[in-house]
Amino acid sequence: MRYLILFFAFVSSSVFATEYVQQPGSNLGFTGSYQGEAFNGNFAKFTTAISFDPAKLTQSKFDVRITLSSASTKNSERDEMLVGSDFFNAKAQPEARYLATKFRALGGNRFVADGVLTLRGISKATPLTFTWTPGAKPQLVGTAKVQRLDFKVGIGDWDDVELIPNAVTVNTRLILSPVTTPASTVKPAPKKP
Amino acid sequence: MTLKNSSKTWGSLSIGLHWLTLVLILGLMAVGLIMTDLPNGPQKIQIYAMHKSFGLTVLGLTVLRLLWRLFSTSPDEVENTPVWQSWVAKSTHVVLYFLLFAMPISGWLYNSAAGFPLKYFGLFKLPKLSNYDPQLKELAGDAHETFFYILALLMLMHAGAALKHHYLDKDNTLTRMLPWLAKKS
Repeated sequence: MRYLILFFAFVSSSVFATEYVQQPGSNLGFTGSYQGEAFNGNFAKFTTAISFDPAKLTQSKFDVRITLSSASTKNSERDEMLVGSDFFNAKAQPEARYLATKFRALGGNRFVADGVLTLRGISKATPLTFTWTPGAKPQLVGTAKVQRLDFKVGIGDWDDVELIPNAVTVNTRLILSPVTTPASTVKPAPKKP
Repeated sequence: MTLKNSSKTWGSLSIGLHWLTLVLILGLMAVGLIMTDLPNGPQKIQIYAMHKSFGLTVLGLTVLRLLWRLFSTSPDEVENTPVWQSWVAKSTHVVLYFLLFAMPISGWLYNSAAGFPLKYFGLFKLPKLSNYDPQLKELAGDAHETFFYILALLMLMHAGAALKHHYLDKDNTLTRMLPWLAKKS
């Protein structure tokens, strides 16, 4: 039985893309505009489950969960407004999710994840363009363009795009390390006597 | 009436700046008291933006006024002014000028420390006096509010003294700043 588990662990590591988790220093942010001035925000809390291998794009997968109430734009009034019911509505829908299972290579180390962003209960195709820097701790640097009103972020009087333009750029820099599954940490079983 | 001030009376530029500043300040005070309780929304942001722009206008006019006062001198005191009155009047004027700077600058600092943009009537961007700083924001906000009450008190004293000169002392302290009042009598 133990050999069987080890066998599957071995086989899976070669068939599926490597799984990664984010390391400290990873960042997920966004840039918008407010009263004619660009502002940057970021999410203090988000979790990423990434399986990626440039040679195995069909087996790759991104699953990112974002805690909306952790948004900060360095302006307490604006942050309060941002997580409130007219914008993220974080009380009713605490998380946003980005899920991608389709990937395209753009040449070199550049790729596109043809994923779907779900925010405020609305799901919308949202391509994420990124570079992948392989290594012991691979780095993923990506951007995606979203239209805030597609997700009803800023409803009522806030749909004024003069005050808050529709376009928001999401940017991320992930520092990743391979997931160490319990199976791979199992020491080789001693030979039977 | 001449543009420049003389030893007897204020010139038209000083008079114009004085009353324009009064109108702006009364508007700023009224809006400032009401606007904080408005429901959050784009309209509130617009009203705040106007408050900020008019406040900056007062700051600009005050710089201009003070430069003009230094360049063009100011009228002498009316004759036989008691020393204590002269001292109180001068002190009040110094503090009023201080507040004409302190009000807009504390507001500007409050705005900067709170992380809000600042555009003069939507025309051009003004620099931030500070980075986002919640502690400084609170300090500047408290200062803006405290200065408001001191300013309101001093304005009442200033106006009360002017009316006292006009109706009780019957001297020309008020008429040299408000010449139209003199022509009637």
